[in-house]
Amino acid sequence: MAKQIYFEDINVGTEMPKLVKSPLVKLQHVIYAGASGDFNPLHVDDDFAKAVGMKDGVIAHGMLIMGFVGQAITSWISKKDLKRFGVRFAGMTRPGNSITVTGKVIEKKTHGGLNLITCEVTAVDETGDVKVTGSFDAALPTKG
Amino acid sequence: MADHSKVGKEYPAVTWEVERGKIRELVRAIGDFDPVYVDRNVAVKEGYKDCPASPTFLTVPMMWSSSMPGVITDLAINFMMVLHGEEEYEYYQEIYPGDVITATPRVAAIEEKINKSGKKMDMVTIELLYLNQRGEKVARARSLLVERK
Repeated sequence: MAKQIYFEDINVGTEMPKLVKSPLVKLQHVIYAGASGDFNPLHVDDDFAKAVGMKDGVIAHGMLIMGFVGQAITSWISKKDLKRFGVRFAGMTRPGNSITVTGKVIEKKTHGGLNLITCEVTAVDETGDVKVTGSFDAALPTKG
Repeated sequence: MADHSKVGKEYPAVTWEVERGKIRELVRAIGDFDPVYVDRNVAVKEGYKDCPASPTFLTVPMMWSSSMPGVITDLAINFMMVLHGEEEYEYYQEIYPGDVITATPRVAAIEEKINKSGKKMDMVTIELLYLNQRGEKVARARSLLVERK
């Protein structure tokens, strides 16, 4: 549960607390498919994945990795303060990969009466291979 | 390859009733055990009306309604060659259990690009503005699909 973060607590360069996820297992792809409704066999059927060129079989849903990034964000910033969240899917994630999400504040400003921060976020695997890059904006309350 | 003549086309609206169990199921699948998404008392204490939907929840109505597969088929995109390139959400207000959200998928752009290895790709941007049962804006979603050719 996110403890309230205030605008005064944040500066450009402030780092988001790192989130380290357990290594992915194929079962998690199945659970995510059911939850999200994305039943593309590329994520759950090794034979299909190999047939379309994934020599090691299934890959994780990109949206699952975006979900990990969302988890990292709302473990730090309250969900209600999150105003925009966007990612680019940069690499494929496979069973066995352990994802780490990091982030850093790149902009802080007051605009239209809102106290806004923009933060860059990155998800990498255990070898440092980049899976997702992105950013989010949050409007934070002040202590005053 | 993607049918470039369909830029600006709108597709039938997606209407989705948000269930408490679906909010919980998605965060459990992600492995996010923040009680705010599953325990109404915790959510209320943190200033919400009820358990809010998590940041990537809007993938659920798109996929479960089969809206996105339908759009991909209509655009003549090859399913075997399509990758999810980008996803972005703008949040205007929380989505709660019992809300009925509606959005009209629209083809915002189709652009041809050449990747680092010199191969042609179509970059297809689909946008959706979600409204709730009171007609209020709740979120905007933008998906970029990449079709390798």
